[in-house]
Amino acid sequence: MGYNLLEALNVRVIGSGDRYLVLAHGLGTDQSVWQRILPLFTPSFRIILYDLACAGSVDPDYFDFSRYTSLHSYVDDLLNILKALGVDRCAYVGHSVSAMIGILASIRRPQLFSKLILIGASPRFLNDEDYHGGFELGEIEKVFSAMESNYEAWVNGFAPLAVGADVPTAVREFSRTLFNMRPDISLFVSRTVFNSDLRGVLGLVRVPCCVIQTARDVSVPASVAEYLRTHLGGRTTVEMLRTEGHLPHLTAPALLAQVLRRALAR
Amino acid sequence: MPTSVTTARQFLTEEATRALDEAVAVARRRSHAQTTSLHAVSALLSLPSSTLRDALELCVGVSLDRLPSSKSVEDPPISNSLMAAIKRSQASQRRHPESYHLQQLHSSNNNNANANGCSQTQSILKVELRYFILSILDDPIVSRVFGEAGFRSCDIKLALVRPPVTQVSSRFSRAHCPPIFLCNLTDTVSGRVGYNLLFPGHEDGIDENCKRISEVMAKKSGKSPLLVGVCALEALRAFTESSTKGKSGILDGDLAGLMVMSIEKEVNELVIEGNEEKLGLKLKEVEATLEKCNESGGVRGVVVHFGDLKGLILDGVSGDFVSHLVLKLAGLMEAYRRRLWLMGAADSVEICRKFCDKFPDIEKDWDLQLLPITSSKSSFDGAYPKSSLMRSFVPFGGLFPTPSDLKGPLSGRNQSIPRCNLCNEKYEQEVDAIMKAGSTVSVADQYSENLPSWLRMAAVDTSKGEDVAKTNSGESMLSAKVLGLHKKWNDICQRLHRTPTFPKLDINASMSQVPTVEGPQFSTDLKQRSHGDLSVNGSLFPNQSPSRQIHMQKKFLPKSTASISCTSEGRNMNFHSGLHMDVPSLTQQTDKDMPWFHHPRQSLSSCSGRTHTPSSFVPPVTTDLKLGTIYASTCQESNTTKLLNHKEHLQHLSGSVSAEFDANSETTSYQFAQSSSCSGPTSGEQFDLGDYKSIRKVLAEKVGWQDDAVNSVSQAVSQLRHRYRSSRGINCKGDNWLTFLGPDRVGKKRIASALAEVLFGSQECLVSLDLSLQDKVDHPNSIFECEELNSYDVISRGKTVSDLIAEELRKKPHSVVLLENVDKADYGVQHSLDLAIRTGKFPDSRGREIGINNMVLITTSSITKGNINVICEKKGMKFPEERILGAKNWQMQILVVSASDDAAAGKSNYTGVRVTTVKEASTCTSANKRKLINAVESSEVEKTDTQEREHKVPRSCLDLNFPVEEADEDDTGSGQSKSELLSESSESWLEELLSQVYKKIYFKPFDFDGLANKIVKEMRLQCERRVGSGVALEIDEEVMVQMLAAAWFSDKKGALEDWVAKVLGRSFAEAGQKYNLTPQSVVKLVACEGGVVKEQAPGICLPAKINLN
Repeated sequence: MGYNLLEALNVRVIGSGDRYLVLAHGLGTDQSVWQRILPLFTPSFRIILYDLACAGSVDPDYFDFSRYTSLHSYVDDLLNILKALGVDRCAYVGHSVSAMIGILASIRRPQLFSKLILIGASPRFLNDEDYHGGFELGEIEKVFSAMESNYEAWVNGFAPLAVGADVPTAVREFSRTLFNMRPDISLFVSRTVFNSDLRGVLGLVRVPCCVIQTARDVSVPASVAEYLRTHLGGRTTVEMLRTEGHLPHLTAPALLAQVLRRALAR
Repeated sequence: MPTSVTTARQFLTEEATRALDEAVAVARRRSHAQTTSLHAVSALLSLPSSTLRDALELCVGVSLDRLPSSKSVEDPPISNSLMAAIKRSQASQRRHPESYHLQQLHSSNNNNANANGCSQTQSILKVELRYFILSILDDPIVSRVFGEAGFRSCDIKLALVRPPVTQVSSRFSRAHCPPIFLCNLTDTVSGRVGYNLLFPGHEDGIDENCKRISEVMAKKSGKSPLLVGVCALEALRAFTESSTKGKSGILDGDLAGLMVMSIEKEVNELVIEGNEEKLGLKLKEVEATLEKCNESGGVRGVVVHFGDLKGLILDGVSGDFVSHLVLKLAGLMEAYRRRLWLMGAADSVEICRKFCDKFPDIEKDWDLQLLPITSSKSSFDGAYPKSSLMRSFVPFGGLFPTPSDLKGPLSGRNQSIPRCNLCNEKYEQEVDAIMKAGSTVSVADQYSENLPSWLRMAAVDTSKGEDVAKTNSGESMLSAKVLGLHKKWNDICQRLHRTPTFPKLDINASMSQVPTVEGPQFSTDLKQRSHGDLSVNGSLFPNQSPSRQIHMQKKFLPKSTASISCTSEGRNMNFHSGLHMDVPSLTQQTDKDMPWFHHPRQSLSSCSGRTHTPSSFVPPVTTDLKLGTIYASTCQESNTTKLLNHKEHLQHLSGSVSAEFDANSETTSYQFAQSSSCSGPTSGEQFDLGDYKSIRKVLAEKVGWQDDAVNSVSQAVSQLRHRYRSSRGINCKGDNWLTFLGPDRVGKKRIASALAEVLFGSQECLVSLDLSLQDKVDHPNSIFECEELNSYDVISRGKTVSDLIAEELRKKPHSVVLLENVDKADYGVQHSLDLAIRTGKFPDSRGREIGINNMVLITTSSITKGNINVICEKKGMKFPEERILGAKNWQMQILVVSASDDAAAGKSNYTGVRVTTVKEASTCTSANKRKLINAVESSEVEKTDTQEREHKVPRSCLDLNFPVEEADEDDTGSGQSKSELLSESSESWLEELLSQVYKKIYFKPFDFDGLANKIVKEMRLQCERRVGSGVALEIDEEVMVQMLAAAWFSDKKGALEDWVAKVLGRSFAEAGQKYNLTPQSVVKLVACEGGVVKEQAPGICLPAKINLN
């Protein structure tokens, strides 16, 4: 919704440099998740930060349950932001759900993106006949009901699991942002994400991609990275990070930054 | 058995009676049957001085007493935990819709009211008491005290956020008061109501997918959606089912009165059993229905849904049946434009691609548009239990006012209540803003010209309401946006300013508003403008793609066709200019039905097209298809059909055009013939295999030692060519840029010049500049020097390097531009290159620009650091590249010494060949070499003087500039990365530049050591043959370097071997004659320091004669 969108989604553009770099956070976090990566890129990039509509830092009133029923609405948001900022080409770093959003956005506007860097990305979280997404439908339902019955308890249990590596500050930070989300929105978005299946459309991506995958990720099995590599339509590389967990930007920012830099340079 | 109030009162004191009365009042207010203790508690708390409250106070007081006391401070500062609580409350208030919004909206008013003191309200969110209490309750100190008093903090909190419970709207109350804390409450709610009931449209079972499908169909272009995605088939089914059930909202508005007919079953039968009859009947039926279609009433159009696309491309399916079906449908599409839609689904893009490969014209003939489907709705249904908070009874409910308390009786069935003034104002402001944005839209949106044709469609059509500026759909988007705003502000107003409405009714209202209230005014607008707009859009794109197409083809014509292309070039140009004139008028004539330009052939056809009949050539295709089958592979097949179609088409249309045009068509078809586009499902880029192979052959001939690099260069170039040819990704900035990284300077240069020959027909079309020139010391007599441009004088005459480059570029507008050592570029060049890669124009220092789109720019750098994976194979190398680059072109000399002279060095028994440094004692040689090896690791090219190399200290791992905190906290990142991250600005500039180039190619180091061994062997052979075995041969390292360098630079294969055999062999023979060689004598080959080569051997940069001493 025009300029309003920039405000609503807390869009910030920081750093100097001619190239735009979008840092898009994943589910359960907000733009603050990039804090430790940020200073390493501000000298050479103009970094666009924004919050997904579902993030805890966004006024939940903007979260229109009738609108955000699929990832396409998030894609709209992203494209609108870039449009409002007058960006005509940018590199895009997306984590988890934002990786999916980035993929879809690049299908719609291939010329807008010079590169997609997908962290902890998965085209489909649920297992299928010959696809291992990491989750069974039954499991997911259990998770959802856990979220429903006691969000706080779920957060406290889930956060260390997702963070994976033994980094208490990261767990704390992720718990904070995760808990900031309104439970019903959190649940709703989780459902949207688990309901999404990008496998069929990966081939439409033309933008070169770099898939960054940690050694062990509760949400994304390693096979998924390979799946992405073989199915994404653009030139795609896979970078394995020698760290664990779904949130390398919180647990191992320097390591991630190094890989990001390399990926952005290619 | 309940007791009457009067009875109870008897037992109570006056004060307690008052409390009881209050409790009864509470119960009455709540219309409860009985007054319970809970009511009493509630009443007690509300009394000005109640014991219950005292009890709580006492608890707190006791706890406070327990806290240690310290020296009294005025205004004891706020503790961390309390401050944290304040922060938390801010956050939670932000999360909480009601009051926050109110505050935000009214903050400006407040500001005006109390001008001083409130200036920060806009930036700082003031916390309301309610939220303050909420967060304080979270504080462990407090919750412990409450726990002691028997309260659970979470219950109290629940009370604070208790949702407004109203019988009617409870299903929708979520929107009013979200559950913030879902504490361990059992689900008391009977009847689980799905959240999706909240969604407008969901009540009818319309999901997002259906909406998007209808959007595609409803567009002016009225495309036939081809759903892609794992859930595509499901979505297709859902769509057809709900539309056949006649649900509203799917086939509405423009699409009202459409009938969905499925030929899926018939297609299956055809494919599996070869049963053509049924399908034929069905298609007749479809046709009959179409015949009857008319604009007013009844069936207005037909949607034919053919199910899964996979069925049509199954292996073993008789191609005839399918192609027959394809043609039949295409015919129907043509005949009943705007009345017939096709619809299908495919699992994945690969299937679509296969299908399109099989039937290259299908996109156009069937008017298809890909629609990515990424979610299924099935698992959504009924999955949402309602929040359990809705009706929980909590004692403290009356303590704080909740919105529902402020609400009037729920009489508000009237939807006509408008927004309050404030909201209305805001709404209008936003609409204004959008309208403004909308008007600039069509100009702003030029990206789609760069899109692949059918993705372009997808991009345009899948855009949602907010996505402004989608060329011809701009207007309708706008109206949708305004509607969205309308709804939003209604909602906000309703929620904040408590206009009592029922969400359900609201939904209906807004739904009905869609077509009625705002719709007409925009749609009429649209109609008025549609003519003008369309023609503009139409002329914009067609003009772009074909012209570029022609352009590119011209540019990348292989050498063999150069002559033809020359003749046709002029024609092309004429053509091109004619096109500008023709197309718009065509567009106007054909109005909306003007198809987008998909392929070059099509665009060619329409630019020549006096007769604009894009699909009238359908019949010939069949025969062509069959002709195509003589080729074995399918991809070739599709291509030949393409080609044939193309020719056919051109001939068909070129009637009035002269013979020159035919020549032109030949060249173009030649191009197509070459492009046997091979699209593996996994390899991302498409390229022409034939093209690739021919390029690779040429390159490999020139540079035999860089297999990998040659492969990737040829692949990149053929990809580029392919991309320029097919309309995919035209003019992606930086597309004509390549980067060669790593060692082997000569190899890079050689490949560049070979590319110049391949792409532009001559090695002359190479502009080669070394950007490290300015900080290089001049080396007289360097072998390498003769090839280089000496830019010194030029620069000293007041020209910058950018100017120099610009000048060269101007001289050769069609060329391969090789910029060596781009990492050494000065600031001016950096700037120019930056602009060049982004804009396609290279500016000189005075800002004049030179278009570089007709060039292929290659930047090189010896840096490999960008990619750690590149294995540095330099260790243990005898002859590093840096040393070879410093080779001097000295005259050579043969010395013959008696072995006894060397006996002191302990080598009397040695009879082989040795490579030594003359200046130093031979025993030191190995040590020296080791030094050299170390020095190489710094990989600095400009260091050319080998004798002055110093041992480089390995790079320090610890960088003190790096924030200590990061260094401490990060336990995984390696030290090296940190220093790398904090690279200098020029380095990051380089990285940036390199990230924009189309492809980076990594070079291996040239195997000098291997070559050296080979030479040594060869020389020994020569020596033995000419002067007999037993004579020891000693080769000065300088000479060795010189020979290696010469071999490296030489164009000719085996030039060095030739030289050794001829020149050196002859000299050996001469030496053998001149001196009396015995097994004791040592033949030394040394360089004459200072003696320049007078006569050069043919084909290699080595002396034609060797002095004998």
